[in-house]
Order: sequence, then structure tokens, then C-alpha cells
Amino acid sequence: MIHIFDGAMGTMLQAGGLKPGGCPELMNVENPEVVKNIHRAYIEAGSTIIETNTFGASTLKLEHYGLADRTYELNAAAVKIAKEAAAGRAKVAGSMGPTGRFVVPLGDLEFEAAYQCFAEQAKALAEAGADYLIIETCIDIQEMRAALLAAKDTAPNVPVICQLSYSEDGRTVTGTDPQSAAIILAAMGADIIGVNCSLGPEQLVPIVRTLAENCEVPISVQPNAGMPYLENGETVFPMGPEDFGRWGTKLLEAGATYLGGCCGTTPAHIAALAQTVKNANEPERPKRPKRLWLASRSKSVCIDKDIPTRLIGERINPTGRKKLAAEIREGSFLSVKKEALNQVKAGAQLLDVNMGVGGIDQPAAMKHAVTEISQLTDAPLAIDTSDAKALEAGLRAYPGRALINSVSAEKERIAEFLPLAKKYGAAILCLPITDDGVPKTAQDRLETIRGIIKAAKENGLDDGDFLLDALVMTISADANACHEVLRTLALYREELGYPSTMGLSNISFGLPNRPLINSTFFTMCLAAGLDAPIMNPYDDSMQQALKASAALLGHDPNGLAFSKDEANLSVPKKAAVAKETILATLPAIKQAVIEGEKDDVAPLVEKAIQEGHSANEITEQALTAAMTEIGEDFGAGRMFLPQVLLSAETMRAAFNKLKELIPASANAENGTVVIATVKGDVHDLGKNITGALLANSGFKLIDLGKDVDSTDIVKAAIENNADIVGLCALMTTTMVQIDKVIADLKAAGCNAKVMVGGAAVTQEYADSAGADAYAPDGVKAVELAKGLVK
Amino acid sequence: MPVYNAPLLAIDAQETRRYAGLMKATNFDESKIEAACQDARLLAAPKGIWQVYDYDCEKQEIAAAPACLLQGDKIGAHLAGCEKVIALAATVGKAIEETVTKRFEEGQYAASVLLDAAATAAVEQVADAMEKAIRPKAAAKGYGMRWRFSPGYGDWPIEQQPELIRLTDATTIGIELSSSMMLIPRKSITAIIGLYKEDKSTPEAATIHKKGCAVCPKTDCPSRNV
Repeated sequence: MIHIFDGAMGTMLQAGGLKPGGCPELMNVENPEVVKNIHRAYIEAGSTIIETNTFGASTLKLEHYGLADRTYELNAAAVKIAKEAAAGRAKVAGSMGPTGRFVVPLGDLEFEAAYQCFAEQAKALAEAGADYLIIETCIDIQEMRAALLAAKDTAPNVPVICQLSYSEDGRTVTGTDPQSAAIILAAMGADIIGVNCSLGPEQLVPIVRTLAENCEVPISVQPNAGMPYLENGETVFPMGPEDFGRWGTKLLEAGATYLGGCCGTTPAHIAALAQTVKNANEPERPKRPKRLWLASRSKSVCIDKDIPTRLIGERINPTGRKKLAAEIREGSFLSVKKEALNQVKAGAQLLDVNMGVGGIDQPAAMKHAVTEISQLTDAPLAIDTSDAKALEAGLRAYPGRALINSVSAEKERIAEFLPLAKKYGAAILCLPITDDGVPKTAQDRLETIRGIIKAAKENGLDDGDFLLDALVMTISADANACHEVLRTLALYREELGYPSTMGLSNISFGLPNRPLINSTFFTMCLAAGLDAPIMNPYDDSMQQALKASAALLGHDPNGLAFSKDEANLSVPKKAAVAKETILATLPAIKQAVIEGEKDDVAPLVEKAIQEGHSANEITEQALTAAMTEIGEDFGAGRMFLPQVLLSAETMRAAFNKLKELIPASANAENGTVVIATVKGDVHDLGKNITGALLANSGFKLIDLGKDVDSTDIVKAAIENNADIVGLCALMTTTMVQIDKVIADLKAAGCNAKVMVGGAAVTQEYADSAGADAYAPDGVKAVELAKGLVK
Repeated sequence: MPVYNAPLLAIDAQETRRYAGLMKATNFDESKIEAACQDARLLAAPKGIWQVYDYDCEKQEIAAAPACLLQGDKIGAHLAGCEKVIALAATVGKAIEETVTKRFEEGQYAASVLLDAAATAAVEQVADAMEKAIRPKAAAKGYGMRWRFSPGYGDWPIEQQPELIRLTDATTIGIELSSSMMLIPRKSITAIIGLYKEDKSTPEAATIHKKGCAVCPKTDCPSRNV
């Protein structure tokens, strides 16, 4: 059946007497006739569902008007008006708009506060008799999740419509794509999923199509009357009723059966739309087999048998890792975050999160970890815990569709975990363990899994919600362990068809050369039907086995990707382009410095000494010569600061080696430089760079740091008998300190030359302040310093 | 005060290159930039806050309590015709610059400078994401948005930084001001965005869409993006 919503409300309220800055929802009690007439106009235009005038009637919004205590009254009144206007001719949808704040961690509104706010509004709307609840114009999936949970908990029998707003790039401004939105919201039990506002019908067609392709529930769409523009200070929506109405056909074809309008639309637009779709057929939504999809806020990942293997990273797990456990216990999540980023970089598509540290508040730790990781990476998460409270904390906090790791056939797990999976729309990893232990044979494991799935379906879960664990035991304890796993994988695939997973490394427990056993076992499992291993993504032998298996099993057709992998080339590319000429040692040192090959230089210096070169020769002919060339290249724009710094690091490594081998060489110095960022200025990177370059060019460096008082600079210059004082200031506000330091140095009778630099400093300024030199950059500073001490 | 802490799912490597002065480098090891971007994501704690105020473009006055008079012709021209302004503050926090300093002390000069550049790219991204989040809200009320303008751009004196801190309530996201008007943490931004119903900016101001670089007099800056 095709349903027609109404169009814009705000502009019509203004026409009906709403003052600029007034509360639109207050009209529900102060001018109910105005609101009622708008509803009537839309019903007469053909609307079959009208929306209550409650878009901003949540407590958090009404607060702005000092009406927070009238939430119930304003919502109930709105439903009453709409029902009276409808008089049975149309259904009434209770409108719930966003709070206007972002939910933690994107913003400062706590999830529970958002939930309470929506629950309060949903209760009022439902008790007054709304036929639907419509959560609309949301741009934050976490706010939508809070609202949907609140609506389902408060009014379990009222169908809920969930509409996000997308930008021109096809995502909400907080990054959610329509595919992920459909996956997350459908799993959580949204009855209708859709989109409204922000864009016109043309831009919404592809979004509607994506939504329709990724869930089975009906799709709704309420576009603006085209993309707005400003003209003479007014917002203009370019589409007239006929233009707008024509798009009804395309929106229907894309899969929407609930159609209406948002900003800029009028009863005439709705009438045109209703006319267009009046005799149209409902769109066909081809029934697709349900696949297992997981989603983060901004990315969806599928696990299935006909697509490449998905890797679930296992490293966010403190079990057996004392340092990680200690950090989590102390409330630090830096290593957890590091593991998240590094695993994704190493190829993990999903991340398992386990906070199993004894004696901590597990729910709080899980919530914290899930929140932090979801801000950092878009890989969907598996929440790995045996604690129902920690599980719920993690699921509630996660702005996506998570995997629960795991649900066994143990009675307590079934009773506690399955309802949570349903409520939060999570998929479950099914583990064949019963209250009596681990079933030994593949057949017994299959039967156990059947039991879990039966219970899950009784709790409302369905195909597409299951990932089956084959359960790996240790071969050193059970000679058949490998056989049973392979047989289990085969049975899962033949009998059930759901994708499979396992933690692999247990197989080799107690054996030597575990990597070999693990990677061999891994390839066997991949051939037997393993779809998503839970593993250490840093394990090179496993990664190699995975790549080779992908080529063998057809996931990497004809081994194309495998062929391009550098690691598999018989002559690695790097070796192929190795230096053709073998340089003599001193030119090689010079070359290493210029190219910034820090690791190569120390052995070269050692070799040069062995060959009988003096420290002086090495410094002059290799190191200084390199620095001169670098200076020239930098000045000419052939070399750039980070490259110069790599060279400086290489110089440093060379000098350190020289000092180590010939301690006397440490005395070779050009002069003493006292360097500082002036009082009031906290920018010291430029000063540090200059200091590092000077120190590695034979100057004795005394770095006084940043925000240094003139008195301290003068004192250090005199005490150290400085040849040069280097002053840095970045800002126009702190630059004036340079004048003061120069004056103070003169007054104290210090003869050191003064060199100045920093973003705001210019040659002119340096001249007027009486400085001896102005260095626009660190490289130039070295050259100038050499001139100053001559 | 609305708060938006944008996730940093990626840091723009190209911008990081630019801030590191590598715009013209052809043979720099990309993996070093990638590593810096990844470390920046790990260490950054993105936070943003903003507030909308009425604005009198004739007087260059923001209707806060007490009112704030904007100084400088450039900001005046930039906000010509604006009825409202958004005062915005963003930061990526302290930890990232502590690591920049630590690395330099350890002799990892290049890694330090690259991380610093990635942190700059990160805080700009945080502010960009805030603008993106604000834009539909402004559009819904019929406002167009000017690009963001910060104290120190053109002739807008950075001595007005305390006013920006006050207007944005930046201290609630951990931004402070040093006596010399520097934002602490260094990788922080304060800015004003004009909201207009009718575009009345001068042709000169209107054509400058390259953000800060075009109005900056430092033409030899290695990060200049014009």
C-alpha cells in the first residue's frame, strides 16, 4: 500500500500567526484551530498520514521557551488536534525531532538524557493515541538509536518510523551512510526506515534505493521542494508542486511506499504527489537472502561464504597481557586505541573488544572502550564479554550494529544475552558449549548450535544474525581436535549455511613452532569454509597464508592481488633498484646524510674509522660537505624541511658514533650558541629545529627553552661566553621581546652576536631591533651562524 | 553552548604534507606521513564548541552580554551584511603536542615536525566538521555561511582573542589563553563565521575563498595554499 504524508508545517504556522521566535508547539494550546486547519488542508490534498505539530516538543527543545514543564500537555494536545482533523480519514504520526544537541561522544548530551527526553515525548504521543511515532531529521545515528529505543520501550505497540537527514555527499553530517543506517535501524526494530529534509527528491532517489536494498521494512521519504537558495534575503525552494509531484514515480521505483514533503512543500505539492502515485503500482522489493551485516557509525561489513575472508582482530584483549590489563585498570585506554588503529592498518575489518580485567567495573570499562574506539575507526566491533551488564553497556554505547561474542547454549547466556541482542539489534556469535561442557564431535556441536539458533529465533532473531564458532581445541590434548573443527565447519555450511568463525591459536597450545602449526591449520580451515577468523592481524605467517588462500580459493581471482604483492616477488623491488654503484666510504656517508638514512650511517662511520680516516676527515669531507649541499638544495627549493630534519637525525647518529669511537672528536666546535624562544611565546618547534641543525653542525648549543625571560637569556649568554644568541618569536605580540633582549644584552656588556627568527619576524624588523642577523629558516641559520663566528 | 567533537577517522595526508612544508617535495617517504597521521588520530582528543549571536554589521558589534566590538577592516568587510555570527572554538588537546615536544627531545626531529603538521591538519578538520554540522542548521533558518575568520587574519588584532574565548566559552573544552594571546593547547582554533540572508560582502572579500592564506601577507610561507 502507498501512503501519503503531509508537507511542511512551519511556514503555514507563520502564515497562521506564529510570531518569529515564538514556540510553534505552543500553538497546539493557544491556536489549535490554526493547526487543525493545516492538517485539514493536507488531508484534503490527499495525505493519508498527517504529522502532529510536535517536531520541537521534546523537553530539551521546549526548555528554550521556558516550556519544559508542558511537554506532556503540548504533545497530547497536538495528537488530539490531529485526530480531530483526521476524523478517521487519515492516520496520525507523532512527530519527534532532534534535540538540537549531539549525543556523547560527538557532543555533550548523555545517551541516557537523550533517551529520557524521547521516552517522555513518546509516552505523551502514544497515550494520546498516535498511530505511529516518527523520529525525523536526525543527523546523529546515536541520537536516533536513543529515540528508537525510547519509543520501543515506552510504546511497544506503536510502529516507529526512523528518518535521518543526509547531506549532498550522501551521508549524514556525522558520517552515517544510508546502508549502515538501514542495517542498524532495521536490526533494532524500526518499522519503517526513511529519509527527510536537507535535499530535494532528485538527490534522495539514490538514498531511498540504498535503504530499500539493505532492509526489508517499508521505506519512507519526505524531500524538500528542491535544493534551497537565498534570494533577496529569503530562502527559496525552487520546485513548484508539479515538478515536485512528478518525482513521486522515481521515488516509488527506488523503493519508497511512504511519501511526503518537508521544507518548502505545501498542500499543493502533496496534492500533486498524491495524484502522481494514485494509480501507481507498489515497487517490487526483490527478496534477498539475509546476509550477516555488521555496521559502525559510518561503514558496513558483510561476512558470508561467497565473499573474501573477513579478519576479526583479537588484540583488544587484556587476557594474559599484564601491561594492557594494568593500563585498563588505571583507566587509560591509549593502548586499546593503539591496538584498534594498528589492527585496522594491518588488515582487520572488524575488531573484538574484551575488557576482561579482574576487579574493575566491567560495564564502565566496556562503555569507555567502545566509545573511544568508535570515535577512532570505522571498523565494526564485536563485544566480547561473559558479563551481561558489560554487554549491555557496550551495546548501548555503540553507534552501530555490533557482534556479541558470544552466546553459548548455557542456560544463563541464552536467557540473558538473546534479549539484549534483539533489543540492540546485535548479531550473535554462536558458541557450541553447553552447561555440560564442550561437545566433542562435530555432529554434537552442530546440534548444540541448532539449539542456540532455535532459542535465538524464539527471541526474534533471524537469518543474517548468526556467526557460528567451530570451537578449536588443542591437538596436544586431543589428537582429533583439528579433524573435528574441519568437520564442524563443513557441517555448519552444509546443514545451516550461516558464516563461521573461530579463534585459531588454541590449536597449537603446548607445541613448539606454533606459527607454523597455526598457519597450516588456518589454510585447512579456510578451505573447509572458515569465513571470519578471530586472529592476530600482526601475525605475518597468518597474513601470508590468508593471501595465498584467497588466491587458491578464488577470492583473489587468478591471484591478481597476490601477484602484485611485493613480498611475493622473487626479486623484491627494493633490491632491484638498489644502488648500482658502490660508493667509497666517505661519499657514502655524505650520501646517507643527504638522503636521511639514519640507520645506515653509524656502520659507515665505523667502517671509515677502520679504513683509517680521521674524525676530522669524516666531519669535513662527509658530514659538513653533506650539510653544505643540503643547505644549497633547501635554498633552491629542491629539498624540504622534513627531509633536512631526517638529514639532521642522520648527522646526529654519525656524530654520536664518532664521539663513541673517538671521544676527543667531541671537542670540534664552531662556537657556542645560546638559543631561546622569548618571554610570552610558547611556540618552540621552529627554535628546536634551528637548535638541532646548529648542534649537528658543530656548534655547542645551550637551549633555554620557550617563554624565557630576558634576564635569563642575558645571564646564560654571559656565563657561557656565547658567540651567538639566537632569539625566536612567532607572534607579533611577542616579537617586541626581541628588542628588549637585545637592549638588555648591550646594557650588560655582552658581545655575542644576535640572530633572530620566527614566523612574524622579518629582515626589516631584525634591522630595526639591532640584530646582527635574521634567519628565515633553520638551514639559513646554520649558514649565517658560521659567518657570524668567523 | 552546542558541542560537537568530530571523530577523526582519517587525517588528510595532503594537508599534512602542506603544513610540513612538503608541498613541492616529490621524493618524500609517504609512509612517514601516514605514520604521523595515524599517531595524530591516536593522540588527538577532538573537541569543538560554538555559539550563535546576533550581529550588527554597521557597528561591527556582536550582541553578547556584554557586547563585543570587532576591530579591523578586513573582518568588517568579511562580515558585511551578516545578521548573525557564530563564534567557534576547536582543539585537539594537549597530549598530541606533548608528544611533538618529546619526540624532538629524543632526536626524532622529522617525526616530531610531521606529527605537528598532522595535528594542525587535524584541528582544521575538526573545525571543518563543525562547520559542516552547523551548515544545515543555519540553512534551515535561511542563512548562508561565510568562511571562518580568526583573530590574526588580515588586520584583525589577536588582542581580541580573550573576547573569542569569552564568546565561545572555550575554557569548557580546555582551551586557555596565554598572556601573549596564544591559544593553549597550541593546536586550537577560535574563529567567527558570519551568517547572512543576503550576500553583501565586497567583491574583494567574496572572491577570497582560499580561506586564510589569501589574506595573509606572508607570501613566502612554505604552507601557503594560494
